[in-house]
Amino acid sequence: MNTHYKDNRSLPVRILSVLGKVLILGTAGIFTAFPFIWMIVSSLKTKADILNTDIFFPTDPQWSNIASIIFRSPIPRYIFNSAWVSLVIVGLQIITGAMLAYALVFLKFRTNKLLFGIVMGTYMLPVAATYIPSYIILADWHMLDSFRGLIISSTVSIFGIFLLRQGFMQIPKGLVEAARMDGASHWRALWEIVCPMTKASFITFGLMNFISTYNNYMWPSLITKSSEYFLVSQGLRAFFIRDGAYGTEWALVMAASAVVVVPLLVLFAFTQKWFINGIGGETGIKG
Amino acid sequence: MAEIILNNITKEYDNGFQAVKNINLEIKDNEFVILVGPSGCGKSTTLRMIAGLEDISDGDLFLDGKRINDVPPQERDIAMVFQNYALYPHMTVYQNIAYSLKIKKVPKDEIDRRVRETAASLGLTELLDRKPGQLSGGQKQRVAMGRAIIRHPKAFLMDEPLSNLDAKLRGQMRVEIADLYQRLNTTFIYVTHDQTEAMTLGTKIVVMKDGEIQQIDNPTNLFNYPVNKFVAGFIGTPTMNFFDAECVEEDGKLCLKTLDGKIELTPEKEQKLKEDGWTGRKVTAGIRPEHLEFCTEEQAAFKGEISVFELLGSNAIIYAQCADGRVVMNTNDTVSREHGETVFMKPREEKLHIFDPETERIITN
Repeated sequence: MNTHYKDNRSLPVRILSVLGKVLILGTAGIFTAFPFIWMIVSSLKTKADILNTDIFFPTDPQWSNIASIIFRSPIPRYIFNSAWVSLVIVGLQIITGAMLAYALVFLKFRTNKLLFGIVMGTYMLPVAATYIPSYIILADWHMLDSFRGLIISSTVSIFGIFLLRQGFMQIPKGLVEAARMDGASHWRALWEIVCPMTKASFITFGLMNFISTYNNYMWPSLITKSSEYFLVSQGLRAFFIRDGAYGTEWALVMAASAVVVVPLLVLFAFTQKWFINGIGGETGIKG
Repeated sequence: MAEIILNNITKEYDNGFQAVKNINLEIKDNEFVILVGPSGCGKSTTLRMIAGLEDISDGDLFLDGKRINDVPPQERDIAMVFQNYALYPHMTVYQNIAYSLKIKKVPKDEIDRRVRETAASLGLTELLDRKPGQLSGGQKQRVAMGRAIIRHPKAFLMDEPLSNLDAKLRGQMRVEIADLYQRLNTTFIYVTHDQTEAMTLGTKIVVMKDGEIQQIDNPTNLFNYPVNKFVAGFIGTPTMNFFDAECVEEDGKLCLKTLDGKIELTPEKEQKLKEDGWTGRKVTAGIRPEHLEFCTEEQAAFKGEISVFELLGSNAIIYAQCADGRVVMNTNDTVSREHGETVFMKPREEKLHIFDPETERIITN
């Protein structure tokens, strides 16, 4: 419901207040967006322009930079790797996360709270602390330097379990019970009743984990050595130092970075309504 | 159609609280059984155990002779209507009603035929494309019933299905449920705390309190022959008047002495009290408001001043302040009476209920 408040302040005060807000938010916005804009404009500059601090916008846009990244570099291959590996990982994380969250919310068993405590406890653990044991396990399973290793080691997301659990808790238990009485198994109740009602949580979870997996650098660079298994961040790094060209091909590095971001921007454009909805804590269920 | 037997069923929670204590109940084919009682008496828990939504801590539950304690709800072939309707908000009315058939993989054209048939019988045809959010309480209730009916289940379970409706709609839906029972000719188990629903719908009523069954009987017997003070007080509106009385012998005849006067007893009641040795002892007596009548001052068991007079049209309820406390009378005499007016009342002897004041069990009805 919209509530309208009557603003009793005088006109100059109101104008000043609006100006203040615009100024603060505008500055914050520029600060946030500046590196991104800088990257985009730099990707179109020549090698000489890019180090010239007097020039912000390219004098002669070098579209060939972008073309050479798309057609004559391994970057598209890394984007493809990142995209499909992230897709598979997020798919698995959604399935495992939803199943555990469903059990925590809708099933009655003695160790329910303890289980949730343990799950959340592992969330407190620094990620770096898990690198060595995970590495050893993957090595024992002969899964180092492979997509399999990358995927298997990321099948469960604690953040996802937590996010979905919070979403599921908004659903009246009676709905799941009604589905059970209608003849639905727990599996059906999860995907046909609970999931459609918490769409926003699923989309938020999917998008956030897709982005973090897509951009992930540290873990993939620890377990993969061959360039054919590189994800984008590793790929960019490799591209940056290719042929000993440390910091000499800035324009191309910027163009590569810009190209790498495009899939995420497209994804965000399509899902932002749900994404913001999910972050805001609303599950899409209207009372 | 189903026969359901509850054999020494107990429900104990992890914290040791017993919601249902060792109950035995036999529900025959085509019976309309009502579980009634105040909040927290275990009636809903009992229903949920029959549904399979609640584990049974102890005892056996049989459905058509088969023990089903460990059978999951989806395999029991029992339908349930929930108090808050529990309609799937993301599905249309059509999809809500069709959901159980879709799970059973019934062919699409048959689903369509059955959904339309069910919708027509419940007056929902116009609403099939709507989502639950666009329906009124009564319409939601009908959809919930449609969802249960379409399956042709062995039994229907209803958990206070009318409690979220306003009084007028509740009356209307009550008639519809009664009509449905006649048409479907199957077993109904219905939970309510509303004794009007219990009395009007049930063929068998189970009165519960604190997880225990107090009495199982048909509505007439429950009303006329309660086994204890709780049942007597729970069934009937306005509730039964209770008062302390002393069994005294006057001129060789036993009668009950109240603070305001005395009550003659029927020979059967007199004999029973004498046999059980109540002569000279105190008892708790109960009389329903409709079984009180006006009398002369000499005959009166209760003398009091009217504190509230409610004219309900064909009858009137009189609340009078007497020496024995507040006495309520339900009379066909609708002559308007003033606040403070003195009235003299006596019970119809044959309708008097006499209870043991300690155990609260009935001595004689």
